[in-house]
Amino acid sequence: MILSISWKNIWRNKVRSLVVIVASTLGIISGVMVVGIMEGWVEQRLHDAIYNEVSHIQIHNSDYLKNEEINLTVQDTALVAEAVKQLPGLKGWVARTKMVVMANTPWANTGIFIYGIDPEREKQVSEIYKKIIPGAGNYLDKDKPGTILISDKTAEILKLKQYCLTDTVIGKLERGEFPKSVLSKLAGIKDERFRSPKDFRAILKSLLTGKELDNYGRQLMDSSLEYKIRNKIQITLSDEQGTPVQGTFRVCGIYRTTNTGFDQVTAFVNAGELAALYDGKSILIHEIAIMIEDIENAGSAKEKLSGISRHNTVSTWKELAPDAAMMNDFMIIYYFIFIGIVMFALAFGIINTMMMTILERTRELGMLMAIGMNRRRIFSMIMLETIFLTVVGAAAGMVGGWVIVMSLGKTGIHFLSWGEGFEAIGFAATVYPVITPFFFIIITIMVISTAIISSVWPARKALKLDPAEAIRTE
Amino acid sequence: MKVLELKKVNKIYDGSEVPVHAVNDVSLDFDEAEFVAIVGPSGSGKTTLLNLIGGLDMPSSGEIIIDGTNLSKLKSSQLIDFRMRNIGFVFQAYNLIPVLTAKENVEFIMSLQKWPRKERDERTLELLNAVGLGDRINSRPSKLSGGQQQRVAVARALASRPKFVLADEPTANLDSKSATTLLGIMETLNHGEKITFIFSTHDPRVVKMAHRVITLEDGRVISDDVRE
Repeated sequence: MILSISWKNIWRNKVRSLVVIVASTLGIISGVMVVGIMEGWVEQRLHDAIYNEVSHIQIHNSDYLKNEEINLTVQDTALVAEAVKQLPGLKGWVARTKMVVMANTPWANTGIFIYGIDPEREKQVSEIYKKIIPGAGNYLDKDKPGTILISDKTAEILKLKQYCLTDTVIGKLERGEFPKSVLSKLAGIKDERFRSPKDFRAILKSLLTGKELDNYGRQLMDSSLEYKIRNKIQITLSDEQGTPVQGTFRVCGIYRTTNTGFDQVTAFVNAGELAALYDGKSILIHEIAIMIEDIENAGSAKEKLSGISRHNTVSTWKELAPDAAMMNDFMIIYYFIFIGIVMFALAFGIINTMMMTILERTRELGMLMAIGMNRRRIFSMIMLETIFLTVVGAAAGMVGGWVIVMSLGKTGIHFLSWGEGFEAIGFAATVYPVITPFFFIIITIMVISTAIISSVWPARKALKLDPAEAIRTE
Repeated sequence: MKVLELKKVNKIYDGSEVPVHAVNDVSLDFDEAEFVAIVGPSGSGKTTLLNLIGGLDMPSSGEIIIDGTNLSKLKSSQLIDFRMRNIGFVFQAYNLIPVLTAKENVEFIMSLQKWPRKERDERTLELLNAVGLGDRINSRPSKLSGGQQQRVAVARALASRPKFVLADEPTANLDSKSATTLLGIMETLNHGEKITFIFSTHDPRVVKMAHRVITLEDGRVISDDVRE
């Protein structure tokens, strides 16, 4: 009966209750959305850090971590390889050569890490092969010697990327119903080559209005972009004796991850071809990367591998990508902080509404006390009303938030204007929000706690009523 | 059989500068199935006396004994429970629970007392039929007239078979016809249920129907007339 009265009571003043319910709904929707976006970013960063950059576990020569010299290779590789193969839940592992080199083109040069890899085997631990930009070549192929896989950022630095409004590009844009008025403004830069996005963006800015730039700038940049695939890059490195040696590789493809910091210093070649450069005999192993089935077992796998050679250092993804690890661990605290703020604000609305309710129902509460409704039942009734009021809005908010997050999880939210900034710190410009059942459990607990805490003050006010006086209230 | 006994009951309100002696040395006995009107001018202490009898207020001195239980000896929580089991209330302004139907209002006390569903339903229908509202059991108070609401309130007061019913000016808000109907119903139930009714009133119709009339003035009982 108390349950039924409480439920009916919240609908006595529909408008007032709906205001609180809508406020709860919007608060929870915004909470779910913001947390969903954060979670999406963290999940993306974590996934990309592991699958593009560091894997679950890496083994290096301890001294190599301090000073990346060619001679500081992983020690006792046979024993290490045997131990790696024995790891429970092993998904794959690779041995890589990793060297600091200077990369040159006729137009520019830059220092990068070059990885000597077995391209096919590398797919066990890295998803770089999935990151090739469409129309920008292919992944490394063992059967195509003398090739190098570089990133979009490296191509930009080495001026292997250019922007040019050719007839073909203009024709394609026209067929796509691109405004002719905008194209006519660009007639003056037709066939002109721009070797950096900055220069091309600057010229577009000078020719177009701000609105045109906002609406069509990205499309123009994407359409005009050309990569100089098959161009040569000269690599200079020091061999085991410290003698500078050089080799030339043709660009086979260009990849792009969500982390330009990683991209701009990372290129890949066939390990054998790199070995041919520094001594021509054996492949040096500077890094062993391991992927296991369950990320949670990385710590125990590290323990198993750590004792093999005292000269090696075994690191888990948490040590190799501390930013991603920190964000992953911080998310739970973030949930509590953000939802806590939403709940704190909501609590004031709930308390206000319930206090008004108590004030309006003084006579009724007096009557209930007079006819025998005890304090516990009065308290329960007020508390249940508060819980219903809050939970109805929260439930609607959770369902609404979940639907929005699920649909945005498919389409993604595009932050293209800030894409460069996001990618500089390892976050994708398009985020796919995700939400976990655990988050909804946290919200439910916090909503009910908020409702209970918010009900205490109004309920205490009700309990302080003198029934004899309350009954006479007009 | 004596259901209620007041022994030298006093109630003094000393919140203001001059203490107010609202009930002054009142001693009264009430038997089973009495139909009693407490009358007196405004400020004579009728409502205070009813509040004391109903355990809504505590006497400054004296004893109120209901069916052998001294109300002053009960703790606050025990008093609420005692009220629920032994006293029915009818208020001037009906005071039904607006979100509940007539049936739900009547069975409310029984549900607090955890009566079995079947007995609760039977008792509710019996009472609503007795007050002439058998066809309005699913109506909410807002859909009932004042007289009908007060009849529901009477049915609610009697629902859990209390020792007595206290009614504070039950006809004050009713028109003449509704008041007469209500009084007829109350008298019938008083006979049928053998439950004592004690009501404060200014209404001469109520006084006329009462079997016993207690007159208060300045908190004192100045007459206690039993009619044959």
